[in-house]
Amino acid sequence: MAQMIKLVFADYRYIILAVAIFVGMLIPLSIISEFIFLEPYVIAHIPSGGEISFFLILVVSALSGLVLAMNVYRINAFRNSPKKKMGGGLFGSLIGAAAGACSCGPIGFAVISTFGAAGGIATAFLANYEIPIRLVAIAILAYTYYATVKSLAVECKINT
Amino acid sequence: MKKKGIIFSGIAAIVIIAIIASISVSQSVNESLNLDMGQTHGTVSTAMGSPILGSDSAPITIIEFGDYQCHQCYNWFHNTRDSVVENYIETGKANLVFVDLAFLGRDSPKAAAATYCAEEQGKYWEFHDLLYTSQEGIDSGWANSERLKAFAFSLGLDMELFDSCIDSGKFNKRVQFNINEAKKQGASATPTFIIVNSNGQQQKLVGAQPYAVFKDVIDSMI
Repeated sequence: MAQMIKLVFADYRYIILAVAIFVGMLIPLSIISEFIFLEPYVIAHIPSGGEISFFLILVVSALSGLVLAMNVYRINAFRNSPKKKMGGGLFGSLIGAAAGACSCGPIGFAVISTFGAAGGIATAFLANYEIPIRLVAIAILAYTYYATVKSLAVECKINT
Repeated sequence: MKKKGIIFSGIAAIVIIAIIASISVSQSVNESLNLDMGQTHGTVSTAMGSPILGSDSAPITIIEFGDYQCHQCYNWFHNTRDSVVENYIETGKANLVFVDLAFLGRDSPKAAAATYCAEEQGKYWEFHDLLYTSQEGIDSGWANSERLKAFAFSLGLDMELFDSCIDSGKFNKRVQFNINEAKKQGASATPTFIIVNSNGQQQKLVGAQPYAVFKDVIDSMI
C-alpha cells in the first residue's frame, strides 16, 4: 500500500490535488458544522462535546483527498481503467459532506423553508445520525482506497 | 303580560350571560398576554419573547433566536452561556431575551409554547434550562406533550394549569409571532444573536460562537 502511495505522490501535482481536495472539504465542512466562524471575525472553535464530530470531518476530508487523487492518477495513467472506483470515492465524500449539513444552520433553514415537512424530516435525519453517517462515509472511502490500491497494483503489475 | 315578562326575563338573562362571558374572556386575554406589547430592543420586537433575564436597565441586551431542538443552541447553552451570564448578566452589564425561532421539527413549537405555560407559573427560565439540559434528537419524542408535562411535574408546577395550557394551544400564536419576528430580523439559523446597546447600535452574531467573541462584541458596545 505504501508503495502505491509513493508511486502516485511521486508526481507533486497529485500532492497538490490531494491537499486541495482535503482543504476544499475541511474548511467548508468546518464552517457548516460551526467549527469555523467567519463573522464578526474569523475564529476556529471546537466546543466541548464536538471533538468526535471534528475528528470525523478531518478523516473524511483526508481520505477524500487521498482516494480522489489516487483515482485521478489511475485514470490518467491507465486510460482504459474503469471509473467505478472514482465514483465510490465521490459517493463517500458526498455522504460525509451531507452529514455535515447542520439542520440548525442556514442550509437546514433553507431546506425546511423550501420543502416544508419533508425537508424537516431529511434535515432531522442528517442531524440525528450525523456521526453514523460520517462513519458510513469513512467506510466507503476506506473500501474505495483499498480497491484503488489493489487495482493500481494489478494495473502496474506490482505485487503489494 | 305574563308572556312579555318571560321575553323580558329571557333577554335580561342573555344580556347578563353575554356581559359575564365578555368579562371572563377579557380576563383570560389579560392573563395570557400580560405583556408590554410595545417592548422593543433596537429594531427587534421582544414583546412576545421570554421574560428578561437580568436587570431591565442593563445597557446591553442580548436577544437570542433559538430552537429547543437545535443542537447548536444546546452547544451555546452548555459552552458559552454560563460565562456570559456570570460576567455580563449577573454584573448588570447586560440582559438576555430569548425569542423562539422554532422551525426544526413538529415538537419545536410545542416546546416553545410549553415555556410560556411555565412562565405563567413564574418558572420560564427554569423550564428553558431544563429543556436545554434534556435535549435529544430532533422529534425523537423527548419534547412531545407527555415529556413536556413530565418536565413541568419535575419542576413542581401546578399540573392542572400546565396541562390545560399545553392542551389548549394557548401560546401557539405567541410562538408564531416570535418566529415571524425572527424571520423579519433576517435570522436564518439558530442560534442567532442580536446584541443591542442603549444607543440602539446592533450587532448580529450567527451560530454557537465562543465566549471570546461575545466578550469582544459586548465590550466594544458598552
